[in-house]
Amino acid sequence: MAQIVLQNVTKTFKDEEVVNNLNVTIKDGSFTVLVGPSGCGKSTTLRMIAGLEPQTSGDIWIGEKCVNDVPPGKRNIAMVFQNYALYPTMTVRENIEFGLVNKKVPKEERKKLISEISEIVGLTPYLNKKPQYLSGGQRQRVALARAMVKKPQVFILDEPLSNLDAKLRNQMRTELIQLHKRLGTTFVYVTHDQVEAMSMGDEIIILNKGVVKQVDSPMDIYHDPNNTFTAEFIGTPAMNIIKYEDVRGLLPNVGDQASFIGFRPEHTSIQSNALTHDDCLVIPGEIVTRETLGAEVIYRIKSKVGDCQVKTFLSTVERDSNVFISIPYDDLYFFDRNGERLRDVAVGRKTPFVLEGV
Amino acid sequence: MDKKIVLKGINLIGLIILVCIFAMPFVWMMSTSFKTLGETMLFPPTWIPEQLNWENFSKAWNSGPFLTYFLNSVIVSIGILLLQMCTIIPAAYAFARFKFKGDRFFFGLTMITLMIPAQLIFLPVYLQMSAWGLLDTLWALILPFSSSAFGIFLLRQSFKQVPEELLEAARLDDATEWKIIMKIMIPIAKPVLITFALFSFITHWNDYFWPLVMTTSDAARTLPIGITKIRQVEGGIAWNILMAGNMILVLPILIAFFFAQRQIIRAFVYTGVK
Amino acid sequence: MPWIKLRPYAMIAPSVIIFCLFFIYPIFYMIYLSVFDWNFVSLTKDFVGFGNFSSLMDEREFIEVMRNSAVYTFLTVFFTLSISLLLALWLNKQGAVYSFVQGAIFSPHIISLVSISMLWLWLMDADYGLLNWFLGLVGIPSVTWLTHPDKALFSLILVAVWKGIGFNTLVFIAGLQSIPKDMYEAAQLDEANWFRIFYKITLPMLSPTLFFLAVISMIGSFQVFDTIAIMTQGGPINSTNTFVYYIYENGFRFFKIGYASAAGVVLLIVISLLTIVYFRLLARRVHYR
Repeated sequence: MAQIVLQNVTKTFKDEEVVNNLNVTIKDGSFTVLVGPSGCGKSTTLRMIAGLEPQTSGDIWIGEKCVNDVPPGKRNIAMVFQNYALYPTMTVRENIEFGLVNKKVPKEERKKLISEISEIVGLTPYLNKKPQYLSGGQRQRVALARAMVKKPQVFILDEPLSNLDAKLRNQMRTELIQLHKRLGTTFVYVTHDQVEAMSMGDEIIILNKGVVKQVDSPMDIYHDPNNTFTAEFIGTPAMNIIKYEDVRGLLPNVGDQASFIGFRPEHTSIQSNALTHDDCLVIPGEIVTRETLGAEVIYRIKSKVGDCQVKTFLSTVERDSNVFISIPYDDLYFFDRNGERLRDVAVGRKTPFVLEGV
Repeated sequence: MDKKIVLKGINLIGLIILVCIFAMPFVWMMSTSFKTLGETMLFPPTWIPEQLNWENFSKAWNSGPFLTYFLNSVIVSIGILLLQMCTIIPAAYAFARFKFKGDRFFFGLTMITLMIPAQLIFLPVYLQMSAWGLLDTLWALILPFSSSAFGIFLLRQSFKQVPEELLEAARLDDATEWKIIMKIMIPIAKPVLITFALFSFITHWNDYFWPLVMTTSDAARTLPIGITKIRQVEGGIAWNILMAGNMILVLPILIAFFFAQRQIIRAFVYTGVK
Repeated sequence: MPWIKLRPYAMIAPSVIIFCLFFIYPIFYMIYLSVFDWNFVSLTKDFVGFGNFSSLMDEREFIEVMRNSAVYTFLTVFFTLSISLLLALWLNKQGAVYSFVQGAIFSPHIISLVSISMLWLWLMDADYGLLNWFLGLVGIPSVTWLTHPDKALFSLILVAVWKGIGFNTLVFIAGLQSIPKDMYEAAQLDEANWFRIFYKITLPMLSPTLFFLAVISMIGSFQVFDTIAIMTQGGPINSTNTFVYYIYENGFRFFKIGYASAAGVVLLIVISLLTIVYFRLLARRVHYR
């Protein structure tokens, strides 16, 4: 078990900076998720931690040791790959055993370890089969077993669930969380799927274009985003971001340092008249589409301030097309010109106000 | 309905004729190898020998040092194959998996070699061998073919198809590069290796030109040369003995073809499909 | 880490050394030798410049060799490819019967040319050969296959075609099988007839295979040696003498090393040109998916 520290880590491919001066500490024993859109540098970061890709500059520490010059096999790390990367010509047993043989673990001990692990992941009946005869979920388990058997300081998982179907993915998600609890080892998990990040991680690192956007627990990231990128990336549907100048008349006391205002679709409600409640921003609009998902309904609404999405949990579907959306002031987020969060800005006025016309 | 049957019949007759054109000569070779000299001169010819003259084979075998020829053929074909395995596997791996200065130059050099036939350069190679004192030895037959551009090309293709993730997994498993080749790459490339091995063995087993050029004494000559000498030994051509000698050369390959037809065809057709 | 940097070079070194020693260097050595007059045993080589080349061109025999090689190559390639293509269209079917027929026509390809040459020498024997007996059955008089200067070269072409058909057919079949089936289905929906499908789909899609085989068999045909050495020794009256056999005779029989090397350089040029033409055509004309 060990914490991982990245100090001023930069990676350039040719002239392109993929990772830019990264400073992150991954806590010992945490389930840390690296998340971001494709091309954000999350996989590169992961591969640098594993030693599969050398960093251009900066230091990487695993535990008490700077591992800059340590080859991947000696970093005491185990990795689960997106496509499992099982050795196709070896049986399940040989796959699990391969790393142990290379580490010169005595035969008796190998045997014991393999039977333990295969019991845990439920592979005992398949030990003598080749990977090609296993299902996707079973292959995933072999990959996990192969990683676990080495008893590494750090587990690294590179989008391990992306090749599974939706149902199996949910099941494996739960299993991975349980596995983390049981082992207590540091997990570093890469995904582009924010739902996966939110549901699994106890620490989330959001990356965009090689830069860390925010490091926090899932709930903090959701409730307290540092910037518009995080705000829009986490949560489905994404947070609505509108320009402050479009609603300045409604919120005159906010001040001009605010450029953008954000509000979550699920904090927004729909009403059929212009009647306003206290402490709410009310905007008229027109319903363009309705997605009825059962327990919830997602509306796309065209308004003067741009398109917004609204998520309601009411069982009745709004029939009118001309509606008003209202957002409590407390649920508004303010951002500056660069998209950075303004935490000390308040609405400062308690009287409701209606914007005229559509 | 009737038309269909007629067409089918015509098709079948066509196929039979086709097989006869290509297989009949070998049947004729076998038939002749069992005949007496007199029977080979019979007109009209007989397809089934009057009696099986097995002594034709021992006559052919004893007409020269055939044990030496045979052993030389085995040593040369197997020796080339073993050396090729030692040279093409690391080279193909390096070309498939490493980036290094001049990699394209060296691969280009290898591909050029693929285009240079031995028939083109035998004269300078002969002079070289003579300068090194290797003429008329088995080394002269083995060394020039101890690596194969074609083998490197084939193997590189199949090494390249192995996903990078697999090698990374192995590196994380603390496997050395050597271990990665032996335990992961070679098992995956096994079908291609077998294919190439068949191709190489058959090619060099059959080779006539190179031993003819490079050797002069019986001690260093191989079966294909030995068989042409049967003809020179007798006054006129004793076709029955000659064909018996050819059977000795052809039979191992034909038997192999019988058992591994699919793989052998694949081995040779590979050269054409790339 | 110098070893990491050196490692790939160490891995390719044995092969590269072998290629350089036995393929690349000899090419240059041969070019070097071609401008000398040398008989292999004398200690000195006399520089003659392009003398060897001009005497080659003056030699009636060498002109015949070039003509023989060209005729042999052109006819062999033409007949082998056209027959093979037809056979491939015919035999490109699944099933045990067809795989047996494919195996049968392929079998000559893996048999030593030595045995094939002797076998055909026997089949083409003017007095006791099987071929003449067959001709006799259908009432055609005996043919002097290998002993007549006008016929011997064609007899050798016949043998080469017979040997080459199986291989070429199977390569064509492999090419045919790589043509996506949906193209044919689309054509059938467009009600194209058999000939148009062949001409508009099969042939263009097969063109890389066709060009590849054409060049490979051309290069192969220019190197023909075994059949000539065993069946005709270049005769009768030089009618079957071709490049490699000519180089072999001049080098090993008459010890005219420089002269033979010059002939080798001419062959090198021919093969190089063919290869270049091949890659040019491949890059330009041939259809790529």
